[in-house]
Amino acid sequence: MAYIVKRLLTMIPVLLFLSMMVFSLIHLIPGDPAQIILGQDATPSAVAALRAQMGLNQPLFMQYVQWMGKLLHGNFGTSLIDHEAVMKLIGQRLPVTVELAIGTLIVALLIAFPLGILAAVYRGKWADFVALFTSTIGLAVPPFWIGIIFLLLFTVKVHLFQSSGYVPIWQNPGQNLSTMILPMVATGIREAAVLLRMLRSSLMEVVDQDFVRTARAKGLRGFVVIVGHALPNALIPVVTTAGIQIAGLLGGLVITEQIFSLPGFGQLLVQSVFSRDYTTVQGAAMVAALIVVVVNLIVDLVYGFVDPRIRLTGGRS
Amino acid sequence: MKKAGTSLAVIATLIAMGAVVGCGSGGTNNAAGTAGNAANTTAPSTGSQTGVLNVGLQADPSTLDPALSSALVDRQVMANIYDTLFALTPDGKIVPDLVKTYEVSSDGKTYTFHLQTGVKFQDGTTFDAAAVKFNLQRDMAKTSARASELNMIQSVDTPDSNTVVLHLKAPYSPLLGVLTDRAGMMVSPAAVKKYGDDYANHPVGTGPYIFESRVKGDHITVKANPNYWKGAPKIQQVTFKAFSDPNVELTNLENGAIQLSDQVPAQSLSSLQQNANFVVSNTPGLGYQGVYLNTSEAPFNNQYLREAVDAAIDRQTITNVVFKGEASPAWGPFSPKSPVYDAKQDTPPAPNGDEVKKFLKEAGDPNGFTFTLQTANSPVTAEVAQIMQSMLAKYNITMKIQQLEFGTLLSNNTNHAFQASALGWSGRIDPDQNTYQFWHTDGPQNGSNFSDPTVDKLLDEARQVGDMSKRKAIYSQFMDEMHKQDPYIFIYFQNNTYAYSKNLQGFQAYPDGVFRIADMSI
Repeated sequence: MAYIVKRLLTMIPVLLFLSMMVFSLIHLIPGDPAQIILGQDATPSAVAALRAQMGLNQPLFMQYVQWMGKLLHGNFGTSLIDHEAVMKLIGQRLPVTVELAIGTLIVALLIAFPLGILAAVYRGKWADFVALFTSTIGLAVPPFWIGIIFLLLFTVKVHLFQSSGYVPIWQNPGQNLSTMILPMVATGIREAAVLLRMLRSSLMEVVDQDFVRTARAKGLRGFVVIVGHALPNALIPVVTTAGIQIAGLLGGLVITEQIFSLPGFGQLLVQSVFSRDYTTVQGAAMVAALIVVVVNLIVDLVYGFVDPRIRLTGGRS
Repeated sequence: MKKAGTSLAVIATLIAMGAVVGCGSGGTNNAAGTAGNAANTTAPSTGSQTGVLNVGLQADPSTLDPALSSALVDRQVMANIYDTLFALTPDGKIVPDLVKTYEVSSDGKTYTFHLQTGVKFQDGTTFDAAAVKFNLQRDMAKTSARASELNMIQSVDTPDSNTVVLHLKAPYSPLLGVLTDRAGMMVSPAAVKKYGDDYANHPVGTGPYIFESRVKGDHITVKANPNYWKGAPKIQQVTFKAFSDPNVELTNLENGAIQLSDQVPAQSLSSLQQNANFVVSNTPGLGYQGVYLNTSEAPFNNQYLREAVDAAIDRQTITNVVFKGEASPAWGPFSPKSPVYDAKQDTPPAPNGDEVKKFLKEAGDPNGFTFTLQTANSPVTAEVAQIMQSMLAKYNITMKIQQLEFGTLLSNNTNHAFQASALGWSGRIDPDQNTYQFWHTDGPQNGSNFSDPTVDKLLDEARQVGDMSKRKAIYSQFMDEMHKQDPYIFIYFQNNTYAYSKNLQGFQAYPDGVFRIADMSI
């Protein structure tokens, strides 16, 4: 518990630093929302007037302080372009991406575990070759290409899935899955390739250790030895990788979201940058940062469960 | 032991394969079941009988408030929610719409509009002269994106509830053309007062479709207005869906998720034209694309270098290679749909190597020169830039390409922070709207920082003359001057290219490129 509190406290300077970075970077990009709202044929005086109306003519430092002040009260402000609460915009988009990221990870695990275990057990044999071949393909073929091919195959040639028309899972689970399965698999293949390699090499290291030999010597079956003894000891790097992956997926699914027309968090962030919607970019980037920090914390906590030798509660080493 | 190992391998492999296949297709079998059901249940509803239309758009409309709109894609939705004071016909004529009849004073400075009676906004409030005045004043406000279109209006009078009188500062012939676009879209004053800054999320007009719901970045749904003053539309519900990738939009058209698409990737045009399930509409638009040359900075403060670039570009090759029939070569701001289009003057001559060399010599740079072109970071604009680069390289003119995100490109253009800037214009029906603001001294879009007394005089004159044939003669002189001075290199006229399902009836192409869904049935 003390560990968690300590970790939560260290999040504060990290997030504060990030807020400054996000704020200054988005304001450094040329162009401004007033110009974009008023369009090509706006006069400079009209742009200046709209800037004033949006509060963009104040010194940057003041704008930052005001934004932080609101943020500390849990108020992300209002979108400069849409005039909607940034929190509401994020609330509409984040569930899409969270579902997609979790689904992607599940697909990745379903592929990576059986193949990774096989590859480690039959190192250098054909099963290993199949696993490595699969993972090389997965790494080499970009998800957007797989996505477009999936769209052509499974929505045009064979009408199995829907190419657009996302609805939240709690409204219509059938239709939700019909729009979500393809993107989950398309991105899952690449994540699986990464996990598979990690699991294979980590398992191989463990399999050579004395306790595995002991287990075998006790007469345990090969499969039991691997799953019951070796695997738990090989999981730490895999959990770390999966944690990094899920954090990365939450902000990095933009292209998948575009191809499968999903109104996700990544698209919100990209569109807001293009329209110089400062408040939305800042809010969304802060939420993304928070997610990464929290996921890291969760991963650290999971270590303790996966490997009881790692005890995070005290200062014991 | 070895045997056991082998059989274990087989079993494990089978499990693994099962898992992989499970994700690839076996697992999708379950999902396919649900998906299949979902597809079966949704297919008829997206299909023909119930009068539901799904429209694909190339971007998510940034706003549904005509006072703030600055993108064509906004109009695809707004044109169905709002009526305009004047309307455009498919052949480009301007006719009264919410205005029933009108008179223009002989000095061209007073416009009297007699309005349609009995028209109601979708919120039940009455459309009348006060509403028109409210709208015009709202659009004339400094922070409106319409301000520059209406800045010739001095004052608006409403002598009675059905009459609006506009007093202009000077004769301004583009006025009616302007009022066919967003400045003429009438929003409900009551809704504006009710929602304030949030109005764009609750748009209310007098048009054939009522705004129903919107998920930002995803879709907008409108439903038929049963009390529409021109008669209820046939299609009961329309969903506009944004696709940021044109190929994805095409895929969605092909699999039936949408029935009308606002773009067709050029490389897919001919195959789609041959597909019997779809109809392709490919007609000239009103816009033009090309390159601003910064006349206030080296190298293009030298007129001869501008002329050299103009003479070196082979527009026909660009349109053939990149657009494959979705654009035509341009040599002026007036597309074939413009009332002042002159085939002779607006069609570029073939590139002329001798002339290029002559201009370079006159400029004092016979061995060529170097400049940087700023262009948007889209595949199409990059391709155009690369072809230009190779055409110019023949004459030792080195063009460096700098790809920028659109907001940055626009900002640099406005601030004259470029040597050459590839930026076009979506175009308007009135020729003034395609010229004045770009090449008149201090025009709001005069990115080239161009200033020439003859051009200024001609542009001022052309917007004051009412008669279109007289205006055409003035614009012809203007084009002579532009071809001499070349502050802008015109490259191509982009077509309005749409594709729709053969079940969709009543589609008509309008020069402004905006769908009129009230005309259609499915």
